[in-house]
Amino acid sequence: MLRIEHYSKTYPGGKKAVDDLTLHVRPGEIYGFIGHNGAGKTTTLRAVAGVMDFTEGTITIDGRDIKKDPVGAKRVTAFLPDNPDLYEFMKGIDYLNFIADLYDIPADRRTADIAKYGDAFELTGSLGSPIGSYSHGMRQKLALISAFIRRPRLLILDEPFVGLDPSASHLMKGYLAELCGHGSAVFFSTHVLEVAEKLCHQIAIIKDGRLVKCGSTEALVGDSSLEDVFLELEGDK
Amino acid sequence: MKKFFALLKVSVKSMLLSSTNARGRSRKKAATGMGAMVLIAFLGLYMSGMYSSLLMSVLAPVHMESLVFLFMGMAALLGGLLFTAFAVKGVVFGGKDNDLLLAMPVSSTMLMAGRVSAIYLENLLFSFFILAPAGAVCAFMTQSGVGHSLLFWARLLAAVLALPLLDTALSVLMGALVAFASAKLTKGGAVGQNIVMALYLVAVFWFAFNLNGMLEGLAADAMGVKESLSWAAPLLWMADGILGDWGKLLAFAACCIIPFVLVVFGLGRVYRKAVTAFAARSARNDYKLSAQSASGQKKALLRMELRRLFGMPMYFWNSCLGLIMLVAMGAAALVMREDLRMYLGLLEDFPRMPLAALMIGFCLSMTVIAAPSVSLEGKYLWILREAPVDEGALLGLKTGFELMFSAPCAAIAGACLTIALELSPLEGAVLLLAALLFCAAHAAFGMLIGLTFPKLDAVNETVVVKQSLAVMLGMFVPMAALGACALAYWLGSMAGPVLAIALPLALLAAFAGACALILAKKGPAMLRAL
Repeated sequence: MLRIEHYSKTYPGGKKAVDDLTLHVRPGEIYGFIGHNGAGKTTTLRAVAGVMDFTEGTITIDGRDIKKDPVGAKRVTAFLPDNPDLYEFMKGIDYLNFIADLYDIPADRRTADIAKYGDAFELTGSLGSPIGSYSHGMRQKLALISAFIRRPRLLILDEPFVGLDPSASHLMKGYLAELCGHGSAVFFSTHVLEVAEKLCHQIAIIKDGRLVKCGSTEALVGDSSLEDVFLELEGDK
Repeated sequence: MKKFFALLKVSVKSMLLSSTNARGRSRKKAATGMGAMVLIAFLGLYMSGMYSSLLMSVLAPVHMESLVFLFMGMAALLGGLLFTAFAVKGVVFGGKDNDLLLAMPVSSTMLMAGRVSAIYLENLLFSFFILAPAGAVCAFMTQSGVGHSLLFWARLLAAVLALPLLDTALSVLMGALVAFASAKLTKGGAVGQNIVMALYLVAVFWFAFNLNGMLEGLAADAMGVKESLSWAAPLLWMADGILGDWGKLLAFAACCIIPFVLVVFGLGRVYRKAVTAFAARSARNDYKLSAQSASGQKKALLRMELRRLFGMPMYFWNSCLGLIMLVAMGAAALVMREDLRMYLGLLEDFPRMPLAALMIGFCLSMTVIAAPSVSLEGKYLWILREAPVDEGALLGLKTGFELMFSAPCAAIAGACLTIALELSPLEGAVLLLAALLFCAAHAAFGMLIGLTFPKLDAVNETVVVKQSLAVMLGMFVPMAALGACALAYWLGSMAGPVLAIALPLALLAAFAGACALILAKKGPAMLRAL
């Protein structure tokens, strides 16, 4: 589903944020991407989402190269940044319709999906209010709903659990599993190692822009815990 | 005091950087910030220098030099009010850093003082660039030698420092009123703000038109005009004070300092409460989902742009003021066509069609919808970048959005002026063509300049639409292009009437074509690079 080959990102001034990263996410997989602050996680996710240009390597999503066919690749993805700023001058329902229009989602399907996810995240009643009046958690939920109604082949999430209450986090995990059950894939970054350990089929650990370890969660963690593995790799233990 | 200066430094830095792209390199930042300052300075010096010398040439012979300072004081007050009153809502009451600063161990009065002082410094620029040229004109054009003493300059400096205090106090009160209106009218917040702003602009324009009437009567009865301005007593005191009356200068200073102190301490005491009230908006929980309808990408993007334009009064009034003036000018020309024809009849061989084209072009220059468009995406830019939308199509749509408003308004104004000025059908067609070409050039140039000097990290939309370099260039460069067209007309008229019309049209077509070509070729890459 997602193939990152020899991806590098160099910022002006010569600093390499990510160096020669290669990883593959297969359909039906939840792939966790972990690393310390400034390791290059967000830079990678933004490049995968086509939000940020990169220097070297190739990124293909469902067979579409993000550089050569960005519109095609974006059509099958949904990306949620760590702090999603949504148009405050729009109402919640207007934003969802705006996104649905951009992704050519038919009217009946969008109505059904907005009802499904809106009710589940207890946001339907507030969809008529301006986003400017939403709390941080409500905005996060609205952004999540806007991602789920696209039924993406690849869902890219940057720190998705930040700002969500426990029940919304639980719901989200269920919907991520449901999405993967339909053959889609999820690629997300997190600092919550317990969640990554329980939720992910595959995990990659990145340090200073370089991939230091990746593989299935069982193989990576073994008899230890993800926290131990992470700290060992980070050299803090 | 240390805390106050730290707060002031933060506010001033944020305002100084408001015209630059803080993501850019420091050299580019400095260049764009400096460019914006130079532009304001040039405009102030040019306008004030020109009007001061015109007025002084009439008033110096009758020893009424003080009226020059009175009118320039009024201009500085009005300019400052127009420039900062709308900005206050965002800068003083709606800053993104409100939560952070209110949590600091500083009193809310000090915080208010820091913010208001930053607005004062901005008004000070206006005051300086408008009153200083008047002082220079006074020094050179009066025979009494009043402008040659050091004390004259000391008194002028005192006036320059004091006037912005009054300006700032009025701006802050106006900003508080706008913030209050938008907070109270939660359901139609934008409508409420629009009403307040419309009333404010009507008042400012009424005042400006009256001022114009007074200027016309100056030569005939300068003393009478001065006496009729008793309602503007503080500014009269300022004018007399600059010319030597220390008592009046002190009275003027008191008139500026007292309102400023009252506003800072009065609003400062309730600043926390006001900021909380202005920001408090809770989401309702009574929405019932019904069947939704679908539309295409272009319609969705257009609707989003429309919501932004009409949902952000600051954006609407700053961007569309030129269009409102354009249509109003057309309607007024039609209603008062007899007077207009009589007036133009006095200027026997004056070419009417180019005059109409210049008037339309001037109003269109002030229509800056495309220039701030990319900067207004700001923190929301990720939404469009993540969406499956082609960058070229997106830029085309944003450019077309300005044209959607400017072209019909230009056509209406063109038709009205054609009838009012009794232009021939051919002249009317040329006028329409010139107006539409200018619309196209203005929109494409605005988009291009918005991509070149983006301001994606602005504290709020006010900063983008009021102070960004892209908006200033998007306004003044097309005005300069108008000047070039007028020059081309004059040069062409030496060779014949056909060339006189063909030259400026060709110039406009070349400008529009070049901007559209660069936008189409480089625009998408520029957008990607942001």
